[in-house]
Amino acid sequence: MKKIVVFFLVFTMFVILSAAGFAQSNPVTVTHWYWADNPTYSATMQEMAADFNATNGKNITVVAEEYPWDGGAYSETLFRVVMGGGGPDTSSAKLTSTPLFNANGLLANLDEYIANWQDKDKIEDSLYNTMKDGSGTDSIYLMPWNTQVLYVYYRPSMFKEVGILVPKTYNEFLEACKKLSRDTNGDGVTDVYGFGMRGAKGGHEPWGSFIWARGGNFKDFTSAEAVAGMQDFVDIFKNGYVPPTATMDGYQEIIANFKLGKTAMTVHHIGSSPGMIETFGDDVDAFPFPGGMGQWTSMGDTENVMLESCENKDAAFEWLSYLATGKGQETWCTVTGNVPVSKTVQQLPVFQNSKFMKVSIEGAPFSGIYPILDTTTEWISTIWPNTVAAALMGQITAADAMKQLQTGLYGK
Amino acid sequence: MQRKKINVWPYLLISPALIIIFTVVFVPAVNAILMSFQNYDLRRPKSIGFIGLDNYLAVLHDPLFWQSLWKTVQWVVLGVGFQFVFGFGLALLLNKKFFGRGIARSVSLIPWVTPGVLIGLMWRWIYDGNYGVLNDILLKFGIISEKIPFLAQQATAFPAVIVTIIWQGIPFFALMILAGLQGIPGELYDAADVDGANGFQKLFRITIPSLKNIIFITTMLRIIWVANSVDIIFNLTEGGPAYSTQTLSVFVFNKGNSLNLGYASTMSIMLTLVLLLVAILYLKNIFKNQEE
Repeated sequence: MKKIVVFFLVFTMFVILSAAGFAQSNPVTVTHWYWADNPTYSATMQEMAADFNATNGKNITVVAEEYPWDGGAYSETLFRVVMGGGGPDTSSAKLTSTPLFNANGLLANLDEYIANWQDKDKIEDSLYNTMKDGSGTDSIYLMPWNTQVLYVYYRPSMFKEVGILVPKTYNEFLEACKKLSRDTNGDGVTDVYGFGMRGAKGGHEPWGSFIWARGGNFKDFTSAEAVAGMQDFVDIFKNGYVPPTATMDGYQEIIANFKLGKTAMTVHHIGSSPGMIETFGDDVDAFPFPGGMGQWTSMGDTENVMLESCENKDAAFEWLSYLATGKGQETWCTVTGNVPVSKTVQQLPVFQNSKFMKVSIEGAPFSGIYPILDTTTEWISTIWPNTVAAALMGQITAADAMKQLQTGLYGK
Repeated sequence: MQRKKINVWPYLLISPALIIIFTVVFVPAVNAILMSFQNYDLRRPKSIGFIGLDNYLAVLHDPLFWQSLWKTVQWVVLGVGFQFVFGFGLALLLNKKFFGRGIARSVSLIPWVTPGVLIGLMWRWIYDGNYGVLNDILLKFGIISEKIPFLAQQATAFPAVIVTIIWQGIPFFALMILAGLQGIPGELYDAADVDGANGFQKLFRITIPSLKNIIFITTMLRIIWVANSVDIIFNLTEGGPAYSTQTLSVFVFNKGNSLNLGYASTMSIMLTLVLLLVAILYLKNIFKNQEE
C-alpha cells in the first residue's frame, strides 16, 4: 500500500512539474504595432522588443512591426486591418481613436489586469481617469505609456539679434513673431520668419493655443473670443510672419524650416529635442506657449492597447506592463525625451536635468486634449486643414471658418 | 436522337479567371452598391441600416461633391488632352531615325514606369516653396523674383498637380502611338510624296486617320484611369489646400478614410455612372473593330 501511495505521489508531482514546465516553455508570440518619428526610434523599439524577449522568462516573443504615423492615418490603418479580421495583438494608440475602436468592440478591457497588477501604483490615478474619460466608459482600455506637452522651440541667438526676451504673454508672443520676421540678406525679401506655422494635418494642436489665448475654448468655436484667436492665426500668415508655404506645412516641413534657420520659433513637443540639440547645440531653447485671457497647450498622449482579438492576453499584458513601468518605459522615454508615465522613471536624473523636460512639466497644468467624439478623426485629418487653409488664403473670413469647424466637429 | 456532347474544357479553363473576377470585382462592386443605400458609417456601427436614397440626395446637395466633380472634369480634360498632344509629338520624334534613338525610347518611358506614390513625393519636393528645385531654376533664370509656394496656394496648386499627371502619362500615349506609326505602310508616304503632299497634309491625311483606332482606345482608357487616380494628388496635396485639388476620386478616398463608407460608396457609384458613358464608347469601338 505504501508503495502505491509513494508511486501515486511521485506520479502526481511528475505530472504537475511537467505541466508547469510545459506552460513555462510553451512559446507565445505577441505581435505589436507602433509608429516611430525617426530611424533612431525605430531601432530603439526593435531593441526593446529584443530585450523583452530575452528577459521576460516566460517564453514570450514580441514581434514589433512599424507603420507610419502619417499625420494620424495610423489609427485608420489599424482600424481597417482589425475590422478586416487581421492586425496585431497589441498596438500603440491615441486616446482620440478610442471611441471608434470601442464602438466596434475591438479593444480588450484592461480593468482586471490593472487591478491585479503589482506596478499599478507607479502610475498616477489621474492618468487612469483620463484613460476612462477617453473611452467614454468607467473602464480602462488603454495602458498609459508616455505624454508629450507641446511648447515653443526658439533660437536664443535670433532673439538676441532682434533684441527681444522670451515672451511671457500672448501679446508679446505675437510681437515676437513680427520682430523675428526679417530680410537678413538685404534682397528685399523676407528670409527668416518669426513662427513656423503648421497649416497641414496636425496643425490643430498649436492652433488651439491661439484660440485659448484669446479666451476661447473648444466647446464653442463661434464665440467672439475663439474667432479673435483665429483672426490672429490668419493675421500672422497674411502679414508674412510665417512661411508662405504654411497652408501645406506639416511636421516634416516645420521641423526642417526651424532646423535650417528659416523660422525662429515653432511648436512641437520634447520628442524633437534630440534632433534640435544635435543641430544647434546650445542655440535652441523652449518656453511654454504663453497665455493671454486663457492658456492651453496640447497634451500629446501615446498609449498602448490590447486588441480584443488577441489570443494570448496574459502574455500581451506582460509586454504592455514592460512598456508602461518596466525597462521599456525608461529606454523609450530616455531616447525620445517623452514625459514618462511611471513615477519611478520620472525621478531618474536624465529626466530631472533636462531643460526641455522642465518646460514640458511647466506646461502640463494647462495642457489638454481635444473633445473626443466620433467626428474628431475626420475633423483633424480633413476638415481642419482645408477650412483653415481657406481662411488663411482669404477665401472665407475667420468667423466663417470657425462656423465650419463648429459644424464639422459637433454637427451643429 | 443523339444529344450533342458538351465540351467542359473551355469552361474549366476559364473558371479560375471568372472566380477571381467575381471575388475581387463583382462582389465588392455589389457591396458598394448595397452600402450606398445604407447609413454605413463605421464610426457609428449601431446606426448602420437601410436609408433608401438619402445618401444620393445628401451627395447631390453637397457643394463639395459638385466642386470635386468640376475639378475632375478639368483634371481629365487638361490632363489627358495634354498627355495626348505631347505624347503624339514624342511618338513622331521617336519614330524618326537619329543617333541614340534606342536610348531615347527607353528613357522616355521612365515617367510611366515610376510608381504614382513616388511621382507624388518627387514632385512635391520639386514644387516645394522653400527648397524646391523648380523655384531655384526660375529664380536663377530671373523668371521670378520671389519663391512661389506652388502647392500651398490655390492659384498654382491645381495646375501643378495637372502638370504632374501630364508628365506621367506622356510616355503611355507615345508608346502606343509609336507602335501604331510603325504599322503604317511606307508606300502611303511615298505615294503622297509623288503627289506633292507637304508634311501637314501627310500628317492629317495619312498618319492621323491610320492611327484613329489607337488614339481612340488609348484616350478612352486614359480618361478612365486618370479620373480614378488618387495616388499622385494624394501624395502631392491630399486634396488641399482648401479642397482646391480635390477631385472626386480623392474625395471618395478621403471620405472612405473617415470611415463613412455609405457616403463614399454613393460618390463612387456616381463617378462610375459618369465613367460608364466613356466605357460604353470604348466597348462599342472594340466590338465594332472585332466585327470588322
